[in-house]
Amino acid sequence: MKPQSAFEREPARRVFASELRETRYQFKEGEDEKSPTYVLLPSGIRSNRIFIVGTLTEKQRQGDQNIFYRGRVVDPTGTFFIMAGSYQPEAMQQLARIEQPAFVAVVGKPNLYTTQDGNCLVSVRVESIAVVDRDTRDLWVLDTARETLDRLDAFGTTDDSRKAQEEYGTQPDVYRKIVYDALTQVQL
Amino acid sequence: MNLSEVTERISRKLEAKGAQPDRQKIESRLRRLAEEFGVNIDEAERTVTADLAREYNLTGVGNTSTELRPINEIVPGEWVTIEGKIVALTPPISPSIAQTGIIADSSGAMRFVTWARANAPAMEYGHWYRIESAVVDEYKGAPNLKIHSGTTISRMEKDAPLLPSITPIAELKPGVGSVRAKVIQDWEVSHDRMLQTGLLGDETGTIKFVIWKEGGAGSSGTGPAAPEEPLGKDKLDLDAVYNIFYATVDEYNGRLSLALNTAMYITDEGDIEVGRNETEIRGALVHVAPGSGLIKRCPVEGCNRTLSRQNYCPVHEIQPEFRYDLRLKAVLDDGIRARNVLMQRETVEELAGITLEEAVGIAETNPLGMDEIFYRIRNTVLGRYYTCTGSEFGGRLLVNSCTPITFEPEELAALLNRAGGEPA
Repeated sequence: MKPQSAFEREPARRVFASELRETRYQFKEGEDEKSPTYVLLPSGIRSNRIFIVGTLTEKQRQGDQNIFYRGRVVDPTGTFFIMAGSYQPEAMQQLARIEQPAFVAVVGKPNLYTTQDGNCLVSVRVESIAVVDRDTRDLWVLDTARETLDRLDAFGTTDDSRKAQEEYGTQPDVYRKIVYDALTQVQL
Repeated sequence: MNLSEVTERISRKLEAKGAQPDRQKIESRLRRLAEEFGVNIDEAERTVTADLAREYNLTGVGNTSTELRPINEIVPGEWVTIEGKIVALTPPISPSIAQTGIIADSSGAMRFVTWARANAPAMEYGHWYRIESAVVDEYKGAPNLKIHSGTTISRMEKDAPLLPSITPIAELKPGVGSVRAKVIQDWEVSHDRMLQTGLLGDETGTIKFVIWKEGGAGSSGTGPAAPEEPLGKDKLDLDAVYNIFYATVDEYNGRLSLALNTAMYITDEGDIEVGRNETEIRGALVHVAPGSGLIKRCPVEGCNRTLSRQNYCPVHEIQPEFRYDLRLKAVLDDGIRARNVLMQRETVEELAGITLEEAVGIAETNPLGMDEIFYRIRNTVLGRYYTCTGSEFGGRLLVNSCTPITFEPEELAALLNRAGGEPA
């Protein structure tokens, strides 16, 4: 058990859009109101924060009194839905300034929503966003590929991955294929 | 030696054990032994001390403190008697201190302080002394010998050669230490009184060193300056190897540094393969913390604290004559662990492609002021991949160097293989 004073920041997991899209299970560690909320990624790890790099293709300002911005960030496997509201004024203003299309790096918290017709949606609440270059995007694809493969290699050996097996019936080979396809889109 | 001094010494010894002796009674007993029975003072002191200790039912008075102890075995809280050589004298930092310096024997060395009120004879550099009934306490995390009015100092006619034992840098503790090390970095001095600062290294690790400027002749204590005592220190040469004897090991924020003003150093032949106890971390820079960018620092000597926007220093209040500085407090995250990193001016200048002068120029003409620099730096580094090396302490990596990670085609090939689809 770690002492309370040794606060450790939650790491930002690397995850491809097509994996995040499959995420359905959200849980809280501990009873405390301030305890962190995690989503369980199908490749078998909990995540309270993610780091993504992709192309911002669309953004919209929404709301009247509570203004917020929605955006779509595309990676080689699919689309992330991001949002930044007035509770994250810095992030919101940063997003407001960016002209799409642009390569962006986003640090944020994944959240699960259920839509009116009963579908589950994962959206990323932005903590920080910045315009980056193509090299950074390519580095992120490599980084995310490596970390996803690391998780798949450890699949079945950790508590989180056994839980993922239970919740999602994850087939590691499906995700290996996703990783492979993502990598083939990186230009040499 | 007069009787009141001895009286004082005896009562202090007893008081240290919790008794409240009557000074008059002590003195009359001493006088009786000395004057009526012709007992010499030392013996009278011993007898009275032992008698009173019995009367107050105390143990360990007198006898423990006359037993000679090697310096390296002494721990704070003890009354001790030692024999040692004065290997350094340093200027007292307060008028209530008569002398400070370092005393060494063949087992080790320790800092000492002679209180002005002790009326003790001044000790001379390079001579041996027997010091009886001194107290050892802890000062700044290191044992420190206190010479008070109850301490007896006698000069010894001894000149045994002393060969200090060398401590590996990784095993240094606050106090006094001798090292054999190579000068691996020579830093810009951050302070008027500093002669030189930089990094020393040996096979086991590295440590920061400082040489302070000295006030010239007469700066080292009240005694006449011994001929072999250097006045003012020489700088160390970069990449040279030195034997450094009796440096002061200070601790600040959990980090050790060596002050060489008490030390004697001589160049040594040969080279040292410096062991880097550096940590390297790779990852994405996912957060730039407030307090990054252009900051103002307190100009008061030795303070260097960050000022608020209103130029307020938590210790020295309003400081309009501040110094500007650049720094970056950020989080580097490899997906498994998020780690705090702290980068100093040189690193930030290189990383953000902006010099301190340019940053000051922009801040002073831009409506956003210092915030403009924060945003510029943040937008340049946020979301990028870096390799940072540095030393870790207090849960933070102090970055010595930071380089952007570049795309390696071989890595893509290796990952494609690992993902194991049909060959591309």
